[in-house]
Amino acid sequence: MLKKTRKWSRILHRDIGFFFIGSTLIYGISGIALNHMSDWNPNYSVEVVHFTSNIPLQKSSQIKTNILKLLDQVDDRAHYKKHYYPKAHQLKIFLKGGSSIIVNTYNGKGTAEYLKKRPLFYQSNYLHYNPSRAWTWFSDAFAVALILFALSSLFMTKGKNGILGRGGIYALLGIIIPILFLLI
Amino acid sequence: MRKIAIAISLIATIIACKTDKKDAEKASIPAEQITEATSINIDDFDLKAGDFINQEIALTGIVDHVCKHGGKKMLLVSDAAKIHVTSEERFDDKLIGSEITLSGVVKEERIDEAYCLKMESDNIKNHSEGKYNNDDFKKKKKHIQQYRDEMKEKNVDHLSNYSLEYVSHNETK
Repeated sequence: MLKKTRKWSRILHRDIGFFFIGSTLIYGISGIALNHMSDWNPNYSVEVVHFTSNIPLQKSSQIKTNILKLLDQVDDRAHYKKHYYPKAHQLKIFLKGGSSIIVNTYNGKGTAEYLKKRPLFYQSNYLHYNPSRAWTWFSDAFAVALILFALSSLFMTKGKNGILGRGGIYALLGIIIPILFLLI
Repeated sequence: MRKIAIAISLIATIIACKTDKKDAEKASIPAEQITEATSINIDDFDLKAGDFINQEIALTGIVDHVCKHGGKKMLLVSDAAKIHVTSEERFDDKLIGSEITLSGVVKEERIDEAYCLKMESDNIKNHSEGKYNNDDFKKKKKHIQQYRDEMKEKNVDHLSNYSLEYVSHNETK
């Protein structure tokens, strides 16, 4: 019986493990990225550019034309999306792709914040955040597989490297550490 | 072994065939559904929201911000208004900078003396536990006092913060 359990544990652990290599990488990469969200923007790299412009940017009937002129100077008018005035002397211009420009309409000083998607991280984080119901089912299957990996690992190896030997010590440590975090 | 591989492939195929994307749902709400709610001008939101508590309204504004942490909060703005919108599901961050007509249920957060007392005790607790430093503690204390001063100035027993609970949206061209 134990021999059969060991055999099937190895088979399931190996084959389902292969199947979920992609998911493991996605959750691993995005897990690290999102853990450090307070230290960096995990989805975009941000480039900040300061500028000064003498184009009149106060509210007027010409404002759209003037904004496009400004974009000719600091970016590209084709990137214009929308604009509004968060404060009386502050204009915010939204650009395609999530970038934006804020200008002090009083003195013409502005800051452009250009966002660029971080390859791999953006996509991994997107999936980590559970974008669709289909992904919910798939990630639930992955979570069940993780439980299966943990349980099957108990039976995979026999002898001194198994759960009754070195494996058991590692398993115990892996349980004690989270408990310590709960107690501290 | 082959059976396992076939079973896994079959499950994966079934899952992959389900294509109902939550974000896509949010991006493709027909305009006629939005017009069912009472439309108000976004600039009048703070004035009129009190008349629509727990009711659905529609308004048009620019998406200034989508919360980068959970993606379930959005700031809808105009030159004269800022409205917080919350949702059960994630907002697509591609909406940032877009003008949308959003339909949502008006929610009220009441700030009264009980609320201030709770804030005060939380502030003391967080400060004593080291979660707030002296600056945070003083800032919070000042904030609570501002609420009390505002209530006194307006001669009311509570202040109301209004927000919207997302129902649907439609991007304006």
